[in-house]
Amino acid sequence: MKSANKTDEALAVEIAGLKLKNPVMTASGTFGYGEEYAPYLDLNRLGGIVVKGLSLAPRLGNPPPRIMETAGGMLNAVGLQNVGVDIFIEEKLPFLRNYDVAVIANIYGESYSEYAQVAKKLSAAPGVHALEVNVSCPNVKKGGLSFGADPKAAAEVTRRVKEQTHLPIIVKLTPNVTDISAIACAVEKAGADAISLINTLSGLSIDLDRREPHLKNITGGLSGPAIKPVALRMVWQAAQRVSIPVIGVGGIMTARDALEFMVAGATAVQVGTANFINPLATVEIIEGMRQYIKNHKLKNIKEIVGTLKT
Amino acid sequence: MAIMNKQITIGSVSGNDEIRAGYVLMTLQLPRSFPEPQPGQFVMIRIAGLQDPFLSRPLSIFAFSRGRSHCLVKLLYRIAGKGTQILAGLIPGSQVEISGPLGKGYTVDPARENRVLIAGGIGVAPLSLLAQHLCQSHRRGANPVVVYLGAKTADEVVGLDQLRQYCSSIRICTDDGSSGAKSLVTRAFQKDMKKYDPARTAVYACGPKPMLQSLAGFLKYPYVCQVSLEERMACGVGACMGCAVAVRDENGDKAYKRVCADGPVFELKDVIWE
Repeated sequence: MKSANKTDEALAVEIAGLKLKNPVMTASGTFGYGEEYAPYLDLNRLGGIVVKGLSLAPRLGNPPPRIMETAGGMLNAVGLQNVGVDIFIEEKLPFLRNYDVAVIANIYGESYSEYAQVAKKLSAAPGVHALEVNVSCPNVKKGGLSFGADPKAAAEVTRRVKEQTHLPIIVKLTPNVTDISAIACAVEKAGADAISLINTLSGLSIDLDRREPHLKNITGGLSGPAIKPVALRMVWQAAQRVSIPVIGVGGIMTARDALEFMVAGATAVQVGTANFINPLATVEIIEGMRQYIKNHKLKNIKEIVGTLKT
Repeated sequence: MAIMNKQITIGSVSGNDEIRAGYVLMTLQLPRSFPEPQPGQFVMIRIAGLQDPFLSRPLSIFAFSRGRSHCLVKLLYRIAGKGTQILAGLIPGSQVEISGPLGKGYTVDPARENRVLIAGGIGVAPLSLLAQHLCQSHRRGANPVVVYLGAKTADEVVGLDQLRQYCSSIRICTDDGSSGAKSLVTRAFQKDMKKYDPARTAVYACGPKPMLQSLAGFLKYPYVCQVSLEERMACGVGACMGCAVAVRDENGDKAYKRVCADGPVFELKDVIWE
């Protein structure tokens, strides 16, 4: 526990004015509202916690089966089941306020106005330090991907959220597009303070014996180490085109994976699916980064950001 | 602030025997500090570093004992795919990572003195630990625990040796009559139902979905029944929302609950069969 509250300057990074103890955050939808993993690890050690996506009203989510294991990863089609922004603020946020950790609320809407309303409510809630705008969920019929795949719509969501909040906003991008740089540039221009990428890749898994999809939703979002090369490529491409910080997400299992994202241009990272198979994945990655700093005699981890030699 | 009271435990395989074709009984030696499981709880088990299969496997706790130097956890599982196939190949001395005990298990109402256990196939696994608990808390003169144990054929009747230690009344049913009665286990129970005073009977079940759904069709209040459900799981701790099951919530509205954290044991009357 000694290292838990000790500020380690060499690991500290900043995203749009938001100071993080280290570059390691949890990815939305993989860490609940924090309380699920609190019995396993000291949440104070994390760089940030990105909570499960929040919508204006509670959402039931998709019918099961919702997940399927695949080679080096998994498909999910949870459909943004969540308690809704009001219950989050009343019942979930007080728990997170017990911790000295950056809390980032991931938000989702079915319309521009819903995004704006959720943003407004969260901005007035003590203990929320930034918003992550989900314009990239592949598993819902309305909203989500339809905003994230179109530069104009993604920019409009960003603008509408920005109008409602003083908090830094991170826009989470979908990989299910032809040119991710175009979307990245559009949201930067619209006022995004940072971007996070990638969300899951749309995929399909088939039960051959029944000739049926494994998921009730038919398609789902692929995550896990299987998507890491795609994520690295997109982070690298986007980081070259924007001047706001980039947060790398996609298949990070180890400190080496996380550091590769930083070399590709990410200032910070999010760890997602790894939490499912190892609740201690985030803290092990942080320790691995600490070791890397020592081994390479770095003053700060930031020194490796965007240092890919090409 | 939450107490950090859960950890990943390293278990050592001390036995892993295919007791029937396709059914394996694994015995794990765990540190003495491993928490006492409630019947119906499960563990997530994985082989450290393995990425194919990628996810941990949720397995019900079949038997538990605490010795002077360590705990023994027994897991009875069916080889159903690649993950369980690899688990079945582990030799004694192999190490596995365990998180648990996880989830909400069966609860016992002392007022309901007729305890009926209905197991279908590998569903016997959590009920066996329940039988152990009921037996250990059994009062002299109380009604015996009755078990209805169903399987496709005699070759797939598993867990019987363990159950016999705790229960004197075991009705075996097979689809082909190769062992016990040729009947569905639910039908065998239904025939006997009038023997059990509804208000003083608690039914505990685990088995394939059609079996549980059939129970739901005829087992109505004042009978009460708790069922252990199965769904594909990723995290096992309530974070991924992958193992959803449709149930009626406190207001009677449909909600998706998590088999791993809100269950795996649910009240049968609350389950919505989709």
